Amino acid sequence: MDFKKFRKRSPWILHYNTGSCNGCDIEILACLAPKYDVERFGILNRGNPKQSDILLVTGPVTKRAKERLLRLYFEMPEPKVVVAVGACACSGGVFRHMYNVENGVDKVIPVDVYVPGCAARPEAIIDGIVRALEILKEKGKEVELPHWCSAQVKPPVNRVKLLDRCLEELHGRR
Amino acid sequence: MGKRITVPFGSQHVALPEPVRFVFQTENEKIVDVEVDVGYVHRGIEKACATKFKYMQVGYVVARVCGLCAISHTLGYVTALERLMGVEVPKRALYLRLLVSELDRIHSHLLAMGHTAEVAGYENLFMQTFRHRELVMEMLELLTGNRVQFDFACPGGVNRDLTPEVEKVLREKLKVLEEKALWLRDVYENDFSLALRWKGTGVVTEEMAKEMNVVGPPARAAGLKTDVRAEFDYLPFKEVGYRMVVLKGGSIYERNLVRALEVLNSIEMCWNILDGLPEGDIKVPVKGLPEGEMFVRIEAPRGELFYYIRGSKKLILDRVRIRVPTFANIPVMKELFVGMDYADVPATVISFDPCLSCTAR
Repeated sequence: MDFKKFRKRSPWILHYNTGSCNGCDIEILACLAPKYDVERFGILNRGNPKQSDILLVTGPVTKRAKERLLRLYFEMPEPKVVVAVGACACSGGVFRHMYNVENGVDKVIPVDVYVPGCAARPEAIIDGIVRALEILKEKGKEVELPHWCSAQVKPPVNRVKLLDRCLEELHGRR
Repeated sequence: MGKRITVPFGSQHVALPEPVRFVFQTENEKIVDVEVDVGYVHRGIEKACATKFKYMQVGYVVARVCGLCAISHTLGYVTALERLMGVEVPKRALYLRLLVSELDRIHSHLLAMGHTAEVAGYENLFMQTFRHRELVMEMLELLTGNRVQFDFACPGGVNRDLTPEVEKVLREKLKVLEEKALWLRDVYENDFSLALRWKGTGVVTEEMAKEMNVVGPPARAAGLKTDVRAEFDYLPFKEVGYRMVVLKGGSIYERNLVRALEVLNSIEMCWNILDGLPEGDIKVPVKGLPEGEMFVRIEAPRGELFYYIRGSKKLILDRVRIRVPTFANIPVMKELFVGMDYADVPATVISFDPCLSCTAR
């Protein structure tokens, strides 16, 4: 059976806050609520990374949230799409070059869609998610690694080992 | 007695919009020990305010401490700065600040109420509350130009005036909102299953509140008469019909009821502000450099917010210290959890309306 066709009909969202000011988070909540209602695209918010297809990340990625973010990213099954929501998730925003932040989500994990705005408007977030759905449709099953990671992956992938390897490299970089 | 089981709650959890980590040690269903970790979102804003940004810019940076009570943080900073430099703010600007701060309180309270309903398993009410909250967001957008991060207050006044066209729409929307808020108050007060779930859960007694220094709606729900709006004169609250809402009981039910009643009071204040808005300038220029130190207390939607600034005739301040309401409420949360059923934990956490990006900064 060809699941590719149906994949974009029921994407589930995983939302993680890596140090944003809550502004984008409440806009994401507003997206799930009646007026904007992303559920019409079959989108549900589920807290479980193993069942999710879209990772919505807000915030400039603090040093402590970095490892959790990577862990969540590796726990999600392929194909998956990462959407960076808000100015600080895209580039660090007003928090850029503060001592405890990493200046954007793409410094840690690969990002597919950037949603600008401080705070990102619900319309912009919905647009970003709809674009993410198109990317999700095209994506295959191969594992995407962060640009700083030098690990080689061959199927079948052992996720636990891969995560350990990446974390080692992440801590080595510090 | 069963064996001890460790249950992690967070940092990523579906009931939490932001990362906080609780590690519970449980025996069967009862919690015997708990550890709290709030530091996931620490960004270093206080340090950056004292090294990187000029004193006129800091107001916009501290607004990004928290998106839910953005106006409170800006207000705290600009009030402290104005008092330090002896700036006389025009009356119209004060009233406009008060209007935005009350609208912000309404949307924050509605968010907290809706979220508690969702965690109690009442998704319908969550959706209804959020639907009515959108009205406030539309009003804020009309008034300030942005839905969440307003950047409305600035040193010396406000950035945007209220035009007659906007005022007309605001009045229409406020009328609808008042109806909906009355309905919501009715549901949160009288709904049978909600009362069954919430009454007597997570009780903070008055002595406990006094001892642990609880602030904001949780303190007022416990019967403690504390509200910075009445204690510290930073905006003309008394002129626009402010009343303190105090209830007895201190469980989740009362905390939400306090919020619902405060929403009604805030709407009343908004009516009074719109009716009696003084004419005049909205901004005066701020000149000179800050010297000396000043502290200000503000009532944010979650409770007392404390700002301390110190300057020594330089463009960059020496110190900006922020003490936020959630930080004051965490000790009592920890106390509450011991001896509680694990199933009540998410509802209790959310009913305190924790704001971790405030706490960690």
